[in-house]
Amino acid sequence: MVPTEYYVALSAIIFVIGAVGVLTRRSAIMIFLSVELMLNAANLSLVAYARQWAAAGAEVALSGQAAVFIILAIAAAEVAVGLGILVAIFRYRSSTDVDALSQVRL
Amino acid sequence: MFTFFLLAGVMIVGALGVITLKEPVHAALSLVGTLLTLAITYVTLQAHFLAAIQVIVYAGAIMVLFLFVIMLLNVQSEPAAPQLSWLRPAAYITGLVAVVALVATIVATRQPLPDAATITATLRGGGADAIGEALFNQFVLAFQLVGVLLLTGIIGAVSLVQRRALEAEQAGSSRSQPSRELTDVSS
Amino acid sequence: MSALVSVAALAPFVALLGAVINGAFGRQLKEPLPGIIGSVAVGIGFALSLLAFLALLFSDVTSVSVPLWSYLEAGGLELELGFVIDHLSVLMMLIITGVGLLIHIYSVGYMHGDPGFSRYFMGLNLFVAAMLLLVMGDSFVLIFLGWEGVGVCSYLLIGFWYRERLNADAARKAFIVNRIGDVGFLLAMFLTFKTFGTLDIAAVNEAAGELVFGSAVLGVIGLLYLLAACGKSAQLPLQVWLPDAMAGPTPVSALIHAATMVTAGVYLIARAAPLFAQTPAASEIVAWVGALTAIVAAVSALAQTDIKKVLAYSTVSQLGYMFVAVGVGAYWAGIFHLFTHAFFKALLFLNAGSVIHALGGEQDMNKMGGLGKKMKITGRTSLIATLAIAGVPFLAGFFSKDAILASSLNSELIGSGVGLYLVLLFTAVLTAFYMFRWYYRVFAGAPRLDKKVAAKVHESPTVMTRPLVILAGFSVFAGYLGLPEFAFPNWIAHWLEPALETSVSFRHPSAATEWLLIFVSIAAVALGLGLGYYVYHLKGGALAKRYGSTAPARLARQGLGFDALYRAVFVRPGEGTASGLAVLDKDLVDRGITGSFTTVGLLAQFTGRLQTGFVRSYALLMLAGLVLLVIAVVLFGGLS
Repeated sequence: MVPTEYYVALSAIIFVIGAVGVLTRRSAIMIFLSVELMLNAANLSLVAYARQWAAAGAEVALSGQAAVFIILAIAAAEVAVGLGILVAIFRYRSSTDVDALSQVRL
Repeated sequence: MFTFFLLAGVMIVGALGVITLKEPVHAALSLVGTLLTLAITYVTLQAHFLAAIQVIVYAGAIMVLFLFVIMLLNVQSEPAAPQLSWLRPAAYITGLVAVVALVATIVATRQPLPDAATITATLRGGGADAIGEALFNQFVLAFQLVGVLLLTGIIGAVSLVQRRALEAEQAGSSRSQPSRELTDVSS
Repeated sequence: MSALVSVAALAPFVALLGAVINGAFGRQLKEPLPGIIGSVAVGIGFALSLLAFLALLFSDVTSVSVPLWSYLEAGGLELELGFVIDHLSVLMMLIITGVGLLIHIYSVGYMHGDPGFSRYFMGLNLFVAAMLLLVMGDSFVLIFLGWEGVGVCSYLLIGFWYRERLNADAARKAFIVNRIGDVGFLLAMFLTFKTFGTLDIAAVNEAAGELVFGSAVLGVIGLLYLLAACGKSAQLPLQVWLPDAMAGPTPVSALIHAATMVTAGVYLIARAAPLFAQTPAASEIVAWVGALTAIVAAVSALAQTDIKKVLAYSTVSQLGYMFVAVGVGAYWAGIFHLFTHAFFKALLFLNAGSVIHALGGEQDMNKMGGLGKKMKITGRTSLIATLAIAGVPFLAGFFSKDAILASSLNSELIGSGVGLYLVLLFTAVLTAFYMFRWYYRVFAGAPRLDKKVAAKVHESPTVMTRPLVILAGFSVFAGYLGLPEFAFPNWIAHWLEPALETSVSFRHPSAATEWLLIFVSIAAVALGLGLGYYVYHLKGGALAKRYGSTAPARLARQGLGFDALYRAVFVRPGEGTASGLAVLDKDLVDRGITGSFTTVGLLAQFTGRLQTGFVRSYALLMLAGLVLLVIAVVLFGGLS
């Protein structure tokens, strides 16, 4: 079987790619997509650790997978609200460029 | 092992695509690919239920929402950045350092896997029943809160999008108020 | 009986109540009302004092203590506040409340229409309260409390018309010079406590009697109390504030700077009489300070042109007489002169106030003259007061001054009695001269008034003239309380005996010698008055005109240059030091402060760069921080 470290390392790489995406993209939509990448990277390591901790019993091991489930739900809520905000900002400024929002006002 | 590296390669390429592709739609589709690959990875990790909802909720619902918004706003590729030109190289360097540091840490804390039988017995294939038991025992409060959060999210999203329309309506009605007196009789 | 006496302890509190009422509600009250409140408060105080006086007069009780409350207990220091009402303090209370009452009533007329009417009476009542506290206190602490209280009131009332810079300056000057004396008082109290372990006056006096005659520590304590007394009573070298204090309203000058407050120094020394009687060295210095002050001030008074400044220097000079008296050990004579002086000097000031009032604020004697015809009451009472202070026989000043002259010659406490006598005798000539000049220039001779002013000259209202008449009566008769002892009954010396009991002894020359001395002082007064008549009246005052603007006259006019001297010796170096320190402050301290905030500013400029306002740069910083954290954990966290 593939060792846990491989999965976690993959998760780390995806996470950093997502983080760099957040930093380098200026469109709010693209930043959003990158944030989704980071979330999923975290999920991957959680699932990998769930397998790693199998010897500790179902309660411990399955909590990793349950956490992923909850994160999925939260991500859904976040996307809904985030995209709502995005639409609101876009309506107001006709742009999704976050650099244009350097003053804390609309 | 081969499967893993294949999946990992596709996933990394997909992720790079998300952050490099200029067209938002392309990037979003690249993300869909990545998420689908991730779902397959979940299967190899004995998380079948998560794999399923990853496909249905993430690659399905959420990404559709993204594409919908992208098309709604008709977002074009972003113009060249006039400010913060130093940020891009700085971000790449930081990212590189972060990858090296994280991978080094992970490799340094290597631990042996339990045997396959134990894994299968404990995770039970990560099916809906296994996760359901965890959710409704240990995480029942968190589960309820997530429900509330989703409700809040829905209301929030609706109100955010709706408010402008409401204001516009109010502005319109106040502007038309003088004439309403005239039209009152007829209505 | 003693219960009746102790009721008088209420007097300061009644006056204080008057001050509180005037201070709190005075602005709402219509004009004469604050004056009436103030006068009634002092009047009650006078009634209480009179009651106490009569009770003491017709009983064998000589001293009544009224304990108030325990003020402080710390280690060996126990401060019990209390009043002592004995023959000395009751006499002072009568002077303060009696003369104070008359001046309060007078002020109702004098301050008529002043916007600060109620503030004035608040200050005056507060002063009376503090002064009563001073004379009634049974410990040095309470005396000091009153001492500071009268100082503050003096400051407030000198600067009463504070909008004019000159008045405010005069008030500050008085306050600062007084503070110098107060330092002496404080040091004296410290040393007293260290030596005797108590600050109760009776206990200190008793303990001082048991110490070795002429012991050094007593001398030092005495000199420190003398410094305090010099500050308050305007003696050399701290006399400079009193002439400037004339900036206040004239009734204030009469009450505070002539009749009562300035005599506090004399009172203090008399109170501590047993202590001073034990230290001839300090006593001799007291006497000589008094004598020098008397002559210096008298010379200064010769050439003054301001109607009030003549009187101010005269006050300083007369206070010098009192210091000589308490210095040579004739404490009763000092208090006696204090008593008579309070009447005729208050009267002189009130007369001056009446004149100033009539002339619409004019104080220059060069623009007066001949006023006696238009202001009959003021003129006549002024004549009485002038003759009384000059020492004309059968008036108050004659007896008290003569008592001092005789005591200085006969005292066995000090060795230089003859010198003191001669100085005082010469001063008596000068006194008669300058007082004649004062009266003649103001009330007699040809008028030198502006025509506009001359038309409006009028006698002051009744509320002002009645007090003048009463004071004039006292100026005539107050002296009969202390007739020369060798031939007549001397009531006041015997009255004060229980309170001023000391071991000082006096020589008793033959009656013929005593009579001779009296005739010598009468001759001195006659000489002074005659000289005045010669200089100012004969040939239309030609002599006065010829010598009036010569250099010695100018020097005298400037108070013999003490102000200039102090300016050169103390004020200039003080200003120099201050400006030097200011430079130091600017160049060193300020630079340091500017430097520190420039550093902070530069730091802020640098850190401010980080606050771009761009979300993405913040995100980068977060990520970088996170990475550093991970690296730190890997390197130092001791993983596996």
